[in-house]
Amino acid sequence: MARRRDGVRLLTSLALAIGVLSWANPAARAEETLNICHGGHPIMVASQKILDKWAKMEGVKLATTLIAYDVYVPKVTQMLTTGSAQCDIIWHNDDWGQLWQQYVVTTDDVAGIDNVAKQPLDAFWNDQHKLTVVPMAHTIGTFFYRKDLISDAEVPKTFADMVKIGQKLQKEGKVKWGYVGAMSFNNTWFSLWWTMWNNGCDIFKPIYERDNKVLAANDWTSIIDQPCHQQIIEFWWDALHKDKIAPEANTTYGRNEANAIFMAGDAAITVADSTFWGDYNDKNKSRVAGNIGMAPYPVGPGRSKPITWVDIWGWAIPKSVPPAHQALAKKLLGEMLTDEDGQVQMWNETGGPPPNVKVWDRLAASDPVFRKLKEVDFDQDHVHSAYYFANWPKVHKAYSDVAIKALTGKREDIPAVLKEGAKSVHDAAVAQ
Amino acid sequence: MVKAHPPVSDGLSPKMAPGQNAEPWLGEKERFMLLLIVPAGIVLVLFQIVPIIFGANASFRDWQLFDPVRTWVGLKHYIYILNDPTFLTVVLPNTFLLMFLSVTLSLIGGLALAHYLHRNLAGQWPMQTIILLPQMIAPVIAAMMMRWVFNDQFGVVAAFLDWIGFGPIAWLAQRWPSFFIVVFTDVWIWTPWFALILLAGLRSLPREPFEAAQIDAAGPWRTFTHLTLPMLRSVIAVCVLIRSIDAFRSFDVIWILTGGGPARSTEVFSIYTYIETFVNLDFGRGSAAAMIGALIILVVAGVMYKAASRVMDVSR
Repeated sequence: MARRRDGVRLLTSLALAIGVLSWANPAARAEETLNICHGGHPIMVASQKILDKWAKMEGVKLATTLIAYDVYVPKVTQMLTTGSAQCDIIWHNDDWGQLWQQYVVTTDDVAGIDNVAKQPLDAFWNDQHKLTVVPMAHTIGTFFYRKDLISDAEVPKTFADMVKIGQKLQKEGKVKWGYVGAMSFNNTWFSLWWTMWNNGCDIFKPIYERDNKVLAANDWTSIIDQPCHQQIIEFWWDALHKDKIAPEANTTYGRNEANAIFMAGDAAITVADSTFWGDYNDKNKSRVAGNIGMAPYPVGPGRSKPITWVDIWGWAIPKSVPPAHQALAKKLLGEMLTDEDGQVQMWNETGGPPPNVKVWDRLAASDPVFRKLKEVDFDQDHVHSAYYFANWPKVHKAYSDVAIKALTGKREDIPAVLKEGAKSVHDAAVAQ
Repeated sequence: MVKAHPPVSDGLSPKMAPGQNAEPWLGEKERFMLLLIVPAGIVLVLFQIVPIIFGANASFRDWQLFDPVRTWVGLKHYIYILNDPTFLTVVLPNTFLLMFLSVTLSLIGGLALAHYLHRNLAGQWPMQTIILLPQMIAPVIAAMMMRWVFNDQFGVVAAFLDWIGFGPIAWLAQRWPSFFIVVFTDVWIWTPWFALILLAGLRSLPREPFEAAQIDAAGPWRTFTHLTLPMLRSVIAVCVLIRSIDAFRSFDVIWILTGGGPARSTEVFSIYTYIETFVNLDFGRGSAAAMIGALIILVVAGVMYKAASRVMDVSR
C-alpha cells in the first residue's frame, strides 16, 4: 500500500515538474490558436489567407469553423448572447451589423481602419458611436451583360431599353432569356431592389434614408404601395408574364439557379455581386467566359442617374473572447488591413474589392477590370442595401412575401396586394 | 400502469437479516433493469425533456435571439399565433393536407410495391434494392435533387415536356404545383418504407386462408380486399400512425423545395416555427408555435392511437 502511495507521489511530482518547466520555457509552450468562424465564401477564405500569413509571423495558429450560411446568423447570435468564446473572429455583415453591436468589441483602434471607405461602415456603429467591424472586402451589386451580344451603344440605359434589347436577342434566337436574376428570399437585391432604387423608390419613407431616428419619426411608414414601387412590381410582372424577357420561375431562383442560366449562355443580362466576375469568366464553369461586360444600372422613369450599393463584409471580435485573444485578433486584422499586396492578391483570386481604399488607386491604374468596376459602381450614387435595425430580418421576409405574391398573382391585383403588404412591412418594422 | 414487482425469490435477491422486517424496495433484477435503461433515460431527459421545458418557458417570454431580455409576457405569443390568419388559413390546412396526401399515397404505393416484391419473381433482389434507394438517400439531398429535376430550364421534367411540345412549367412559382412537388417528393421518399414493412407483414401471413380462397375460386382483387387487407390491418395501422406523426413535423423537404413559398403559400407548421425562430430571430414566438404544434399533434396522435388500438383489437 505504502509502495503504491509512493508511486502516486512520484508521478504527481513529475507531472508538476514538467508543467512548471513547460511554462518557464516559451519554446515548449503551446502556440496560441485563434478560431475564425465564417460562411466559407471564397472571399472569406482569401481574407483568411492574408490573416494566416501574418499569424504565422506572429507564431499564432489559425483554426477555422465553417458555419452554413442558412444558419449562420442564428448560430452566431446564440453564441454571442450566451457568452461563448468558441470563435475569436467572426464574419460580420451590414445586414446584421446592428444585431450584434452590443456583443462585439470596438475596432476604432485597429491599424489601417482610417483607410477604409466610410459610408459602408454605417451599419456597424454601436450606441457609443464606436466602430464594431474590420472590413474584409466590398460587396457590390453589379449589372453584367454579354459583350458578344450587346454592343456598347446597345447597353441599356433604362428599364425600357432592357426589355427592348432582351426581346430583340430572344427573337433572333441568340438567347432564351433577356434577363435572369435571383429573386427568391433572400436574394431580393438581384431583381427587385436594384430596380426599386433605380426608380427613385425604397421600402420606407423618406427614400434612401437609413437614420433610424428619422425613419421612426416617420413611423416606419412603408411606401411599397406608392406609384414608384407599384411601377417596379408591374415592370417585373410584365417582364415575367407579358414581355417574357425573364423566366416565369425567376421568382423562385436563388443565386445558383440564376447563375447557372447566365453561365450556360441562356440569358443576356444578369445582376449579381461583383464577386461572381471570376466565376462568369472561368472557362471551366462558364460558357460565356471572356464575354462579360459591366455597366451602370439602367434607370426607371422615377430616376435619371444610376444608383447602386457598396457595402462591406467584415470581421468582428466577440466580447466574450479573452482579452489576450482580442488583442491578438485586432493585431492580425490590422495587419490584414494594411497588407496592400495581400489585398491585391485577394482581388485577383476572387474579385473581392479590397477594403483599403489606397489599394483602389493602385488597382485602378493597373487593372482594367477594377477600373470598370470602379466606374460602374464605386463612382455612382450609393444607397445602403439594407436597413440597420433589429427588425430588419422580419422586414426583409415580409417584403419578399408581398412582392412574390404580387408577381405570382393577377396583374390587376397588384395595387391591392401592395396596399395590404405595406401594412405587413410596417408591422414587421415596429413589431415588439 | 407499470406495477412494481415484489422482491424476487429466485435466490438472486439479497437475503433478509434476522429481525429485519422491511423488504428492499427494488430487487436485484429490478435494479439491473433500471441500470440498463438509465443511459437511455439520461439521453431522453437531457435532449428531449429539458429542451421541451426550456422551449415551454421561452414561449411565455419576450425572447429575441439577439436580445434575450426574457420578460414574462404570458400568453401573448400564443394569442398572436392563434389569431394569425396565415397560421390558421394556410399553415394548418397545408400541414394536414400534406400529412393526409403523403401518408395515403405512400401507403397505396407501398402496398403495391410490397405485393410486387411478394411475388418472388426473377430479378427480385436487385429490384428490391432499387425500390429501396429513395429511402437510403437523405431527405435534404432527395429534395435538392427534385428541385433540379423540376427546374424549368435544366430539369429532366422540363426537357421531357419540351420534347412532347410543351413549354417549360414554372412548377415552384405557383402554390399548387409547388405543393404537388412537395407531396410527390415525400411520397417518393416514404413509399419504400411502407413497402418494406408491409412486405414483412405479407410474408408473415398464414398461407391457409389464401389456399382456401384459391379453392373457392376467389379472384385476386377479392382475395386482396377480403383477405390480405383485413389481415394486414394491424400492420397498416401502426405504419399510418408512425408516418402521420412524422409527416406532421416534415421540414427538410419543404424547406429545400419551396422554403414555404411562393409567398408563404406552402408553409407548414414546422416551416412557420423555423421562420419565426431562425429568420425573424424571435425565439419566444417560435417556441410558442412549436408548443402549439406539439399540442395539436398530441391530440391527433392520441385519436389515431385509439383508432389503431381498436383496429388491432378487431384484427386479433
